[in-house]
Amino acid sequence: MTSRRLHVSMSPHVHGGVTVSRLMSQTMLALAPAAVVGIYYFGWGAVKNLVVAVLVAVAAEAAMQRIMKRRISVCDGHAALIGLLLALMFPPGLPWWGVALGAVVAIVLGKQIYGGLGNNPFNPAAVGWIVMSVAYPNYMALYYAPQAGGASFLQSPIIEQIPLTVVRGDLSELLSYPWWKLFIGYQAGGVGEVCIAALLLGGIYLIAKGVISWHAPVGAILSATVFTLLCNSINPEVFAGPSFHLLTGGLVFSAFFLVTDKGTTPVTRQGKLLAGVMVGALTILIRYWGGYPDGVFFAVLLTNAITPLLDRIRPAVYGRVKKVA
Amino acid sequence: MKKRPSFQGLHLPEAPGLDPKIETAPLPKKVVLLMEQHPGGICEPVVSKGDQVKTGQVVGKSDRFDLADLHATVSGTVSDVTLQPDPRGNKVPAVIIESDDRDEWVELPEPDEHFAQLKAEEALNRLRHAGIVEIGNPAVPLHVKVVPPELPDTYLFLVGIPVLKKVHTLIINAVDSEPNVFIRRGLLRHHPDDLIKGIRVLRTMVGAEKVVLAVSETDQLSIDRLGPYAKAGFELFGASDKYPSGLEPILVKQVSGKEIPLPDGTSRDTGYLVQDVVTVMNAVEALRDHKPQVDKLITVFGSSLSRPKNLRVRIGTPVRDVLGSLSIKPDTLGKVIFGGPLLGYAQYTLDVPITKETYALTLQNEKGVHEFSPNACFNCGACVDVCPINLLPNELSRFCEFGRFEQAENGFLLHCIECGLCGYVCPAARPMVHFMRYGKSEIAARKVGV
Repeated sequence: MTSRRLHVSMSPHVHGGVTVSRLMSQTMLALAPAAVVGIYYFGWGAVKNLVVAVLVAVAAEAAMQRIMKRRISVCDGHAALIGLLLALMFPPGLPWWGVALGAVVAIVLGKQIYGGLGNNPFNPAAVGWIVMSVAYPNYMALYYAPQAGGASFLQSPIIEQIPLTVVRGDLSELLSYPWWKLFIGYQAGGVGEVCIAALLLGGIYLIAKGVISWHAPVGAILSATVFTLLCNSINPEVFAGPSFHLLTGGLVFSAFFLVTDKGTTPVTRQGKLLAGVMVGALTILIRYWGGYPDGVFFAVLLTNAITPLLDRIRPAVYGRVKKVA
Repeated sequence: MKKRPSFQGLHLPEAPGLDPKIETAPLPKKVVLLMEQHPGGICEPVVSKGDQVKTGQVVGKSDRFDLADLHATVSGTVSDVTLQPDPRGNKVPAVIIESDDRDEWVELPEPDEHFAQLKAEEALNRLRHAGIVEIGNPAVPLHVKVVPPELPDTYLFLVGIPVLKKVHTLIINAVDSEPNVFIRRGLLRHHPDDLIKGIRVLRTMVGAEKVVLAVSETDQLSIDRLGPYAKAGFELFGASDKYPSGLEPILVKQVSGKEIPLPDGTSRDTGYLVQDVVTVMNAVEALRDHKPQVDKLITVFGSSLSRPKNLRVRIGTPVRDVLGSLSIKPDTLGKVIFGGPLLGYAQYTLDVPITKETYALTLQNEKGVHEFSPNACFNCGACVDVCPINLLPNELSRFCEFGRFEQAENGFLLHCIECGLCGYVCPAARPMVHFMRYGKSEIAARKVGV
């Protein structure tokens, strides 16, 4: 009496349908507006960043997994996402080999040597960016002045300093610059970092879809706001206020896309919030007193380092009762 | 309605348009009565091959107080006493009865219409002889749960009941334990009068001052039907419709804000007693009609059924016969699950019989089976956001995976109620419940020193 073979497995027997590749593709979709704006303002420089970083990241991951004799998992989209993040963080003037080197470093040193997705303690994209900016500070300063529309493709780019570097010399110049131009991305900066509007759009999409929780971004933005507000009210001559610091550099980009990275940040709500607060505070600290104009990626890396500690802050477990009276 | 304590959970999709009538399945040709009808122990068969039995006759017994008696669920001939597969994948002794299709009952005393005035000790006696087992995790015989507190200590000692906590509130659970299971809601809608009587008896037995009828807040039909009864010590409580609202620890928390001391505690430790409505209905039959538990209300859903069906089936009916009575072809099935989609046990054979613990049958077609290849955990924290016990399932699953059971225990692995939500949301498709159970069994094995 043989009947048809039945599947046997442990419960649950249904699944919500969320997969790694779906999470990654949703995040990439959320980055699309920022990428489009980057291409619009920076032309070929941005296109080169995107194409080289994504292709090299995927190739590096496949090669690395081949060498380590592991299952090739580039289809889950995580390598492509790291490439995309890097492309958006790098300045448009970085030569193609620099972009490629950064992507290889991010994948190999940032992710694969630890054992792949989820085992890396540090955000691979932040690792790639930091290695490049420490090793090649001159190339990593090749920011373009924004040129709208066709001009960015037709005219040769003009190298310009990012507002965060400008502000170190003279605060008065930035006060005359309208904030809404910063908001729509009309400033020098990393390809995808400049347009705060596009980043907010993508971030809100991710929160609405449940891909990320609001805790880390809100924590980061709030703590940066409070910090800058405090310093600005003490001495407005030296310290720029929150509207400037939130709209320039990579703070909003990091708040939505790096501090919410799945593997390298805390898992509990409290931990996420604290990680966000720490990134925001550290960023402003480095911007005001540190050696780099924009410290946000260092802040992300430092926060990643204390993630295991933040993960120890956990909610009270149900039923943890010593003695019932 | 006052604000109830919240818990983490998830709204899960359900089949639409539900008010399933309770249908009675045709008598099976044969029943397989497993001697282990609930976790805790195995009964001794008291019949042997060739015996003639009547419906309601005792076929399995135990000296222990905490084991429910087992009765023949059809009349006929005992064709064998042998090992049979049970829903958890083990083989246990079973009495197999070939039905004579007459369904002749043993002689029962006259129905007692005044059962609501029964003395506690007599009520306990009737319940014990009926061998009723509640639905639960773990399932416990009803009479063990509702032992009256006023019974003398010597009596308790003799029958081997631990010292009892006083119960001040009886929670009647009409929230179905899983999505797409409709027995509690179905019963509530169709038999509210009988239920209320049964609840009164149970309340007297345990000496509770208050009764809380917990229904799902979105189940407007039940709320309307029960509204008139909500007075004089009866309180209607709208429980969350998030899964796992209907599981005992979560329900107690919602109603009272108190937590059951896990892993070994029961709701009685908090002064609350949770009883599901289906068991209360069985209790009514036992108290009034002196009827032992021979059938079970189950929801069948999935496969070619477009809507869930509520069936009253005889205990011991093999799944094959249940499917046959619904004209579902077994060779279209990919997975047969005892229980709902989140808590159930998948079966390897269709010979497994319905037991007193069974409350649902979930069927999946070959296409509907969720196939997965697990990946490494990447710490996304999706499970942490849904765990109703506030565990860190990501960490626990890795501890169990790599044999670090002590660390898992320190992370409160034993508090896990195996609701399955962590596995449901996991993007890496990890078999979370599998890891949890593995870890628990290893910890248990180490404790006894294996």
